[in-house]
Amino acid sequence: MPDDPRIEAPATVVGASIRLEAVVKRFGKLEVLSAIDLDVPSGSTVAIIGPSGSGKSTLVRCVNHLEPIQNGLITVGDTLISARGLEVAGRILGHRDVARFRTQVGMVFQQFNLFPHLTVMGNIIEAPVGVLRQPRKEAIERGMDLLDKVNLAEKARVYPAQLSGGQQQRVAIVRALMMQPRIMLFDEPTSALDPELIGEVLKVIAELALRGHTNVIVTHELAFAREVADKIVFMDGGKVVEEGIPAEVLDHPQMERTRTFLGRIGEAPARQTSQPKEGAP
Amino acid sequence: MSLTRLSQLVWDYRDLLLTGIWVTIQLTVVAMLIALVVGLLACFGSLSRSRLIRAPAILFVEFCRNTPILVQLVWVHFAWPEIFGVKFTAWTSAAIALALQSSGYLAEEFRAGIESIEKGQIEASQSLGMTYTRLMYRIVVPQAFIRMIPGILNQFVTCFKSTSIVSIIAVPDLMYQAGLIVSATFLPMQIYTLIAIMYFLMVLAVSLGVRQLTRLLPNFGYFHARRPTD
Repeated sequence: MPDDPRIEAPATVVGASIRLEAVVKRFGKLEVLSAIDLDVPSGSTVAIIGPSGSGKSTLVRCVNHLEPIQNGLITVGDTLISARGLEVAGRILGHRDVARFRTQVGMVFQQFNLFPHLTVMGNIIEAPVGVLRQPRKEAIERGMDLLDKVNLAEKARVYPAQLSGGQQQRVAIVRALMMQPRIMLFDEPTSALDPELIGEVLKVIAELALRGHTNVIVTHELAFAREVADKIVFMDGGKVVEEGIPAEVLDHPQMERTRTFLGRIGEAPARQTSQPKEGAP
Repeated sequence: MSLTRLSQLVWDYRDLLLTGIWVTIQLTVVAMLIALVVGLLACFGSLSRSRLIRAPAILFVEFCRNTPILVQLVWVHFAWPEIFGVKFTAWTSAAIALALQSSGYLAEEFRAGIESIEKGQIEASQSLGMTYTRLMYRIVVPQAFIRMIPGILNQFVTCFKSTSIVSIIAVPDLMYQAGLIVSATFLPMQIYTLIAIMYFLMVLAVSLGVRQLTRLLPNFGYFHARRPTD
């Protein structure tokens, strides 16, 4: 199955596989990723967990080339990302083709990053109409359909600042899905949310976002990771410490560092630590 | 001198005064319109990744900002004919000099506005497959423009006040007319006081208008959105 990023995604989206081989990422002298190897088979969901500063976010940002890498190789479908940039079949891609490649890789950010000067509908049709050149009317119809699925159809005309964090993140997920990507990257999608809003976003991710594509999710929500992931990867200090099916990694971790991390975060779930608000409604 | 006498004086010279005000307003508007375009070009030039474009753009902006308006005015009017072989009327020279000065400041204003847009906006645009040009004009510049509005209006007021200097090259603005009236009446104290009050009132009117406008803006679309609804 050719994975040419320059070919329009078919109506039924087929996930592209991701493979990282000895990937090194440095910020100046600081090595954030040290020779990472990782396999994400086509159509599967991988959850990356680990303490802050372990390089999880940087890893997903390298997959859509928001961060260039210094060494190693990332294969996304048939696109190769190396220190030289992106190439397909031996041809180095210019910035236009890099942009084209990114249309196949959806990304959801911790801080939502909705466009504040556009309405909800404006946000989600901006790239389908402007970049993919889809007819505006068609994009709006598809947009309404997706907004309806995340229970935000009546918010199509409002601006992001008028939405709660949970609503904003649901719009951001719809915005990424509108591109019909073959890969979805989630960079701590619920970390900036109030505890009571996390559930609604996780529900949308599980029900809507994880269908058909290949997914990489960076998260602190272990219960969620256990539920949706085919594989869990535990990272620490820029390395993959342990990986395996959720039951293995979460219930029977082999490495000491994994056990320590799960002991800290697992028994006292991250949600509860920020919860005690006196007399909160 | 009685107040009636002074009002009589204003009435007698109303044509000169009105012409002066009209020239002053014309110069300000024309100079600012040119400066908005040139400033935007200079701003994009100074943000360019190509050094061949960036270096001259930065040089231009710094030159505009770091030479006195009087020097620019005299330079354009008396030196450009020899340097570039083009001769302007005093009015045109004045408009060019004012535009030069303002475009330097506006370019900096624009650059600051563009650089104030969060990196996340650019990353989100990139992750949606937008090229640099597209994300600039669809996402960054529209947001930056809103933040620039106060700066642009400030520059408008500054430019308005700077016009008083063009009387030096005999452009018949309000200040120039004041000089004419003084030499005809020998009443410098009264006339210049009157002119000062007129400038003050006009600038005050513009400033108050600007303030009112910025107070009204939050009632529209995106501006409205920045207010929490509940």
